[in-house]
Amino acid sequence: MTSSTLTGHRAATAVVFLGAGGALALATWIGGQRGLALGLVGFYLACAVVAYAWAGRDSDVGAALRAGGDERQRHLDRDATAIAGLVMIVLAIVGGITSAALNGGDLGVYGLFAAVGGATYAVAFAVLSRRS
Amino acid sequence: MRNRVGELRIARGWSQGELAATLGVSRQTVNSIENGRYLPSLPLALSLARTFDTAVEGLFIPDTEDLT
Repeated sequence: MTSSTLTGHRAATAVVFLGAGGALALATWIGGQRGLALGLVGFYLACAVVAYAWAGRDSDVGAALRAGGDERQRHLDRDATAIAGLVMIVLAIVGGITSAALNGGDLGVYGLFAAVGGATYAVAFAVLSRRS
Repeated sequence: MRNRVGELRIARGWSQGELAATLGVSRQTVNSIENGRYLPSLPLALSLARTFDTAVEGLFIPDTEDLT
């Protein structure tokens, strides 16, 4: 009898690293900073290799990297994602207030982040409350 | 909430990994349930009870503060 349930896709997180890192490196290359672009390629390639290797392990982190896992592991992933989202929203609000103070009322890009975060929460709450 | 999962598993001579494979969950989740760190969903609690041929009430013992 096997002792693990290695559900999900082992390459899931590695593909995200390669896709997002590749796009960032391409944008940096187009922006003219070619040395930095090559450095980003190396960095995200290394991240993808580590993620792929770690995703093959029978562990909670491995399950998260595979975007799989059982109910407890999915709860862990969901809770960690929620905490990360809350921190980002707080950062956007604090950043917006700081930007407004420094730039005479201009919230800057932080205002957009805070608005998107708030609207996403409201829509998600409404949809989820109807489903439960 | 206390439970008898570990006690019943050991009585049957199963490892945590073997019980996990039977239930279709990870070994880490079985360990968390046994140590009271994770309360399983109702479907998983029912699967546990069926695996040990008992009722859910025979598997999970609520503390006084759990009974509100």
